Amino acid sequence: MAGIWIIAETREQAFELLGAGRSLAPDMGTALTAIVRKGAGPPEETIARGADEVFLLPELPPDQPFGAHLPVIEQEAKTASPDLILFISSARGKEMAARLAARLGAGLCSGCTALAFDKGSGSIRMERLAYGGAAIQKLTASTKPVIVAVPPRSFEPAQVVDGRQGKTRELPSPPPSAVRIIEKKPKEKVAKDITEARVIVCAGRGFDKKEDLALARELADALGGELGATRPLTEEMHWLSADLCIGLSGVQVKPELYMGLGVSGQIQHMTGVRGAKVVCAVNRDENAPIFALSDFGIVGSLYEVVPKIIEELKK
Amino acid sequence: MPVVVACFKWVVDEAYIRRGAGGALDFSSVDYKIGEYDRNAIEEAVRLRDAGGGGSVIGITVGAPESAKGVKDGLSRGMDLAFFASDPSFKDLEPSQTAAILAEVIRSRIPQYDLITCGEGSSDLYAQQVGPRLAELLGIPCVCFVQKLSLEGGKLVTDRRVEDGVEVVEAPLPALVTVLPDINTPRIPGVKDTLMAGKKPVTTIKREELAGSFGATLKTEAMTASSLERTGEKLAADAAGIARFVDTLRKSGVIR
Ligand SMILES: Cc1cc2nc3c(=O)[nH]c(=O)nc-3n(C[C@H](O)[C@H](O)[C@H](O)COP(=O)(O)OP(=O)(O)OC[C@H]3O[C@@H](n4cnc5c(N)ncnc54)[C@H](O)[C@@H]3O)c2cc1C
Ligand SMILES: Nc1ncnc2c1ncn2[C@@H]1O[C@H](COP(=O)(O)O)[C@@H](O)[C@H]1O
Repeated sequence: MAGIWIIAETREQAFELLGAGRSLAPDMGTALTAIVRKGAGPPEETIARGADEVFLLPELPPDQPFGAHLPVIEQEAKTASPDLILFISSARGKEMAARLAARLGAGLCSGCTALAFDKGSGSIRMERLAYGGAAIQKLTASTKPVIVAVPPRSFEPAQVVDGRQGKTRELPSPPPSAVRIIEKKPKEKVAKDITEARVIVCAGRGFDKKEDLALARELADALGGELGATRPLTEEMHWLSADLCIGLSGVQVKPELYMGLGVSGQIQHMTGVRGAKVVCAVNRDENAPIFALSDFGIVGSLYEVVPKIIEELKK
Repeated sequence: MPVVVACFKWVVDEAYIRRGAGGALDFSSVDYKIGEYDRNAIEEAVRLRDAGGGGSVIGITVGAPESAKGVKDGLSRGMDLAFFASDPSFKDLEPSQTAAILAEVIRSRIPQYDLITCGEGSSDLYAQQVGPRLAELLGIPCVCFVQKLSLEGGKLVTDRRVEDGVEVVEAPLPALVTVLPDINTPRIPGVKDTLMAGKKPVTTIKREELAGSFGATLKTEAMTASSLERTGEKLAADAAGIARFVDTLRKSGVIR
């Protein structure tokens, strides 16, 4: 047997991965199997959106992490021996993909930015970033299966196609996992999705304190845009939600305008704005790398320059 | 008195990579460093040892013989001793190979340990795989993306970051964690630390001293430089510069 598998925790993930799977399945001449949580939605819908077969993961007790399903999935994979297994590179997805890869002795292309099947050679071609985004690495698999983790929103969700048929099977409950969840602290507020923003004003470490971000927000409002941030602000200072982090470990954005304020322009960040139409910057250090990676910029303190830009915009 | 194993990688400093002829990567002026997040992994191991009133921190790195400099750098960050799996063929390994070698070093050379710390991702590949793969190969529990961690009575209690919030998670020891950058602030080694590092024990292990074949599961077909360069016009922070900045924005049609 062969096939493409998708393994998803949520409906949204499943639909995106089905979109990816459906784009490959005809050329690979193979079926698409969706492994999804039973609680994540009706299997009929998964089938309508492209799955030929659905394996349902039973609901787990609240203290059991998603990764608890691993031994069961491993067994199924060993029996069915799929060619390709797709995950979304969420925190849980990345961990599960790597652990499954180790169990199956499989290769894993994580943070995959391009995925295609080459009919001529019969190989799966993958791309990802390396060296913080300074390089693009092109990969093929030397063993089967190959596992691929794609960032969220890399693929259009699969649409419903009427009249599709498929089988559904419930997988057994896994043995209890040694890792136990003792408490969940859900995030208070979901930040805006900046991946679709037309204008992004991005705050970096050049801001001295959290309150000063009001200045960046004011400029974003004046430009009709959203606020984004570099990783130190979201991850180390915790001034802004991690959803707003742009770059290699955050999100990839493609606005018409990106303006970096107090952003040094390290490659791991700038790789996230490669799709921006116009990139500009305000930085007080004329040697900051961001200038070479911008269309234009002002050398000066953001505290002096930003109010003046806002003023000028009002004219 | 915990025994903590810290995994770290000696990597090319990406800031010095240039785009060469035809989009090739130009490494001619590069420098090397310990991966950013691996410094957090080392720091956390050292912190746990000190908080546990003793014990030891064992560093492990896999790399080409040139990475010996990295071993010393790692030792200057507070580790007690290091294992260095060194072979010319260990230069451009993919994560499955690195994890297999690390697992073999640990199985064969470290009879007892409580915790393994890894970075959230290596600075060069950022595959975010080696940690969880290693845990599976050793058959121990693993918790990834850890922001906070403590060892209490034979178990690990952590805060781990996921998209929908934070999960407080526990697991029996020995276990493996991958750590996020906010877990601690890595120390900057001083002259004394560097001097002391030279006296700490290092065990170098050659490929033939390890059992296993360490075959690759992925093949790199090409590695090309990406180009992010733009025109980079710099303007002054005076009235004229600001007027020109806003004018250029307007002309580019991005402001409505
Ligand atoms: C594997 C890996 C993945 C990473 N992923 C990401 C990622 O996804 N996103 C990300 O952003 N980073 C990421 N990073 C971190 C990245 O390497 C940089 O450390 C980070 O982007 C720097 O953020 P910054 O520009 O805000 O801060 P800094 O580098 O500290 O720069 C601050 C800048 O502000 C300027 N400044 C100071 N005061 C003022 C002032 N008053 N007015 C104007 N300018 C001022 C300074 O001149 C300086 O250039 C990653 C790192 C690694 C190793
Ligand atoms: N060559 C290596 N030697 C030792 N540890 C490594 C090596 N490569 C990766 N690691 C560890 O595994 C983590 C994840 O690496 P990666 O999967 O490449 O992103 C790193 O942060 C290190 O802690």
